[in-house]
This record gives sequence, C-alpha cells and structure tokens, in this order.
Amino acid sequence: MNAPEDPETKGFVASRRAVLALGAVAASTVVTVRPALAQAAGSILACQIPVPGPHAAGSYIAADGTTVAPGTPGAAPPLSRPLTGEEAKVLLRGSTPPGVDPRAAQAYANYIRRLQAGMSGFTCYASLQMPR
Amino acid sequence: MAAPRYIAEPADKLALARLDGLCALFHGPSGATHIVAPPAPEILAALREGPADAATLLDRLAERFEFADAGAADAISARLAELEAAGLVRRA
Repeated sequence: MNAPEDPETKGFVASRRAVLALGAVAASTVVTVRPALAQAAGSILACQIPVPGPHAAGSYIAADGTTVAPGTPGAAPPLSRPLTGEEAKVLLRGSTPPGVDPRAAQAYANYIRRLQAGMSGFTCYASLQMPR
Repeated sequence: MAAPRYIAEPADKLALARLDGLCALFHGPSGATHIVAPPAPEILAALREGPADAATLLDRLAERFEFADAGAADAISARLAELEAAGLVRRA
C-alpha cells in the first residue's frame, strides 16, 4: 500500500516541485468551446444536466432560474436526478418531461438557460443549442 | 461508502495543444474541444498512472507539486467533478 510512485512516470514533465494552484471549489478549470455534433448526436441526448449542479447542491431554483436557499417560497426543489439532454430539450421548448413537476418546469428551464461555461451540464446544454 | 475512484480518458483519445498556460484538448469520442487550465492537465496525467480516488490523487500530485491554496481536498473533488462532467474522466 502506498508504494512510492516512479518519479519518472510518463506524463509528468516537472523535474522539481512546482507550485500547483488547485483553484477554488466554485471556480472552474474546464471550458468546452466547440462540441462537434456530427459524431456526437447520440451522446447529446444522453448527456446529463444536474439541476442544480454540484456548485449549488441542495439549493432551490427560483422561477427566473437562479439558485436560492432551500425552502424559499415559490422556488422549486432540486431535481432528484440529472436531466438527460432529451429531457432538457423538452423543457427548453416549454413542455414538461415525465417525472418533472409542471409548476417547476419553467424554473428548471431557466436554470438551464443560465448555465455558463464550466458549470456542470453546460457542455450538454451547449450541445443542445448547436444546429444539426 | 468508499469514495469514487476515477480514471482518465486514454491519451490516444485526446489531442493536446499547449496554449500559453492553458491547454486545448480535443476529445475524439465526443467530438468536443475543451480549454483546460491547471490543474486539469496535471490531474489527467496523474490519473493515467491508474484509477484513484480524490485522496490518492492528491497524494500523487503532492509528490510532484506544492499546493498553492488551502482546502486541497475540496478543490480536487471539485476539479474531478468538472472533469467528469466534461467527459474527460469517468468513474472506475
């Protein structure tokens, strides 16, 4: 257990101890810039959008899509499971996918519209926006 | 419950270009291109040594790097979550 790793392991170029910034929990280090849809059409509909994402786990979703404190009156509770891309498409068209409270659908749709690069689910949302 | 263990997408599935401190990664299977900042490339490289949970990954990175910030355990978990969301790592 805990056998020392080979310092010469391929993939690492640091030969001395460099300083590595791990970033703030809420910051993001990944931005997806160009989903190429032609070969990913199948996976797009199966991709997932957590509502809310891990950055706001437990928060409720206000009607305008912002995350608010749990129990806020008029806000929708977190979804118990991530939406699939297909379900997100239904929501963004103004309909309600099965298993989603119709009264909360608009809040969830607005949350998805507010996703920004780096937030969990953004890659999926961005993919849904790309023309086929 | 045991902490989730992660594996990185194999290097042959990713084309990598360094961009002055950032890194562009083209992920062939999804067709997506990602711009990643440190420590994402370092995490992917460390995970290629084998599956690891967040604590093990942190140990691997600590052998090579000083960490610039406190709260490393929370930060590394957040980084793993976003890499997973991007499809660049997955649960082992």
